[in-house]
Amino acid sequence: MSIIKYVVRRSLFLVPVFFGITLLVFSIERLAGDPVQLYTALNPHINEAQRQLLRQSLHLDQPIHIQYLSWLSDLLSLNLGFSYSGGSVAVLISQRLWATLELQLIGLTLSLIIAIPIGILSARKRYSVLDVTITSSSLVGTSIPIFFLGVAAILIFGYNLHWFPSGGFQSSDPSRYLYHNLLLDQAWHLFLPATVYTFAILAPVVLLVRSSMLEVLRQDYILAGRASGLSERSVMYKHGLRNALIPIVTYVGLYFGGLLAGAPVTETVFNWPGVGKLFVDYTTQLDFPVIQAVVVIITLMTLVANLVTDVTYAYIDPRIRLE
Amino acid sequence: MAQTTLEQRPAGGHRVSQWALAWRRLKKNKVAIAGLGIVGIFIVMAAFDRLVALYPPKCILGVSPACQLDGRLHSNSPPGLAYPLGTDITGYDVYSEIVYGTRAAFLIGVGATGLTMLIAVVIGLAAGYFGGWMDNLLMRLTEVFLVIPFFLLLLVFLQVTIKLAPANTGSIWLVVFVIGAFSWPGAARIIRGEVLRVREFEFIAASRQIGASSYRILFRHLFPNVLHIIIVLATLQIAASILTEAAVSFLGFGAPGSNTWGQQMYNSANYVEQAWWGTLFPAVFVTLMVMGFNLLGNGLRDALDPRLRE
Repeated sequence: MSIIKYVVRRSLFLVPVFFGITLLVFSIERLAGDPVQLYTALNPHINEAQRQLLRQSLHLDQPIHIQYLSWLSDLLSLNLGFSYSGGSVAVLISQRLWATLELQLIGLTLSLIIAIPIGILSARKRYSVLDVTITSSSLVGTSIPIFFLGVAAILIFGYNLHWFPSGGFQSSDPSRYLYHNLLLDQAWHLFLPATVYTFAILAPVVLLVRSSMLEVLRQDYILAGRASGLSERSVMYKHGLRNALIPIVTYVGLYFGGLLAGAPVTETVFNWPGVGKLFVDYTTQLDFPVIQAVVVIITLMTLVANLVTDVTYAYIDPRIRLE
Repeated sequence: MAQTTLEQRPAGGHRVSQWALAWRRLKKNKVAIAGLGIVGIFIVMAAFDRLVALYPPKCILGVSPACQLDGRLHSNSPPGLAYPLGTDITGYDVYSEIVYGTRAAFLIGVGATGLTMLIAVVIGLAAGYFGGWMDNLLMRLTEVFLVIPFFLLLLVFLQVTIKLAPANTGSIWLVVFVIGAFSWPGAARIIRGEVLRVREFEFIAASRQIGASSYRILFRHLFPNVLHIIIVLATLQIAASILTEAAVSFLGFGAPGSNTWGQQMYNSANYVEQAWWGTLFPAVFVTLMVMGFNLLGNGLRDALDPRLRE
C-alpha cells in the first residue's frame, strides 16, 4: 500500500469517530434538560415571549435530528456560538488556549530532555544498582498524582518560602510585576507549575525509553555495529537511540491528547488560566456551549495527533503499511 | 508459556501449578512485595477501621459527645498529641477520617475495576474469538472510546446528575459506575490481542475437532489462558480508578456527602494556607494506595508473564 493510500484510509476512519463523539456530546446536553432553562437561569426576569424567541433562535422548535444537524453545521463552520453567561465561546477558548499549550509543551519538552538520558543510562547498565534504583523510583513516580506534588510544591515554595507565587499566570497588578517586567513576571509564575508538571509526567517516559532502548540493543545490527568496531557512543546514539525513538514519538503523539484532557487538575491546582480551568469553571455552571466546544476541540486535537503519529510511524517503518 | 493453568510434573514427582511458580517469582521481587505489603496494610486498615482510628466517624472534636477533649472546638488545629495529623475546618480528626476513607477507596477501586474488566473481557473475548465483522465492529467502538476525553466527560456527567437528581449526589456509586463504564478500551484491546494469540494454539483446534462448543472453548480454554493478563490489568486499573476518583472529587465533582480521600482534600482545599494538613495528608494516602497497587501490578506482570523477563 502506498503511503498516500494509507493516509487517506486512516483519515477516513476519523470521520465516523468524530461524528460519534459529537453525537455523544450533543445528547448529554439534551439529557441535562431544557437548554432555554439553562440559558436563562442567570436571568429570572425574562418573560415568556422572550423565551419563545430564544427557543426559535436556538432551533429548539424543530425536531431533534434537525437540531443536531444545525448544531453540527454551526460547529463545522467554526461558529461556536455564545456561552450561557454571554461571552463568545471562540474568544473564551482562544484567550485560554495559549496558557494551556505553554504549560503542556514546556512540560513535555523538559520531561523528554530529562527522561531520555536517564532511560538510556538505565538500559545500558541493566540490572545494576543504578538501573534498579531508576526503575523502582520511576514506578513510584508514576503513582504520584499531580494534586499531591502540586499542593506540596505550592505549600513549600509558595506559602512557606515565598520564592514563587502560589498560582496564576501573571500578577494582577502591573505595579507588582517582578522587576516591573511582564515577561519576567510571567516566567516567575510559570516556574513552579512547569517544574511540577515536568516531574509529574517524567516517570512513564523514563520507563518507556528504557524498555524501548533494551529492545533495540538486542537487535542484530547493534551486535554487527559493535563487531565492526564502532565506538560505544556511535552504537548507542547513532544506531540505538535513533531506532528507540520511534515508540517514543508514538507515545508523545498518542498521549498529547491525553495530556490536554488532564489539564483540568493541573490548572486548578495552580490556578492557571488555561482551557482546563475554563472547562472546570463552566462545567460547574453546566454552560453547554463552552463544554461542547472544549470537548470537541480536544477530541479533534487527539484525532489529529493520532493521525500524524500513525503516518509518521508508517513513514519511518514501511512494515506497518504492508498489513 | 501458554499452558498457564495446566499443571506441570517436575522430575521430583510432585505437582507444582503455574500459579505456585508465579508466586515463587513474585516473592523474589522486592518491589512487588513492598506493593503487596502496602495493599495488605490498607486492607487491615479498612477491615478494622474502628480499631485503627482514634475517634468515631464524623466526630467533631470538642463538640460531639464521643470526643469531648477539653470541650473547646478544635477546628483547623495543627498536628498534635490528641490528633496526630491535625484537624480540618469542621473539627474532624484528619487521621481518623483518612482511616474511614480507606473503605471507600477500596469500594471505588474494586467496584469500578469490576465493571471495567467485565466489559473488557466480554469485548476482548468476543472480538478475538469470533473475528470478522464482529472484531471489526467492536474494535472500531473501542477506538471511539479511546479518543473520547474521558475525564472531561466524567466531570460533565457528574455535574448533570447533581443537577437532575440532587438526592443521589451523596452516593459514590455514580462515580464508580461512570469510571467503570469508560475505562475499558485499553484493557479490551490487550485481552483481544492475547486471545488472538492463544486461539492459534493446537489445543484449541483439537478441542474444536472433538466437537467442543464455542461457549466451552471460550470459557474453559480461552478464558483461563488469558486470566493472568486480566489479573495484571485489573490490579493496575484499581490504582487508576482510585486516582481518577480522587482527582474528580478534588475538583469538586465528587459525592459531597462521601468521605473519600479526594472529597476530604476538596473540603480542606480552601484552607490550605492556614491548615495544609487537611489537604496534604489525604493526598499522601491516595499516593500510597495507588503506589501499592501499581507496584503489585507491575510485579504480577513480571511473575505471571515470564515471556517479558527473557
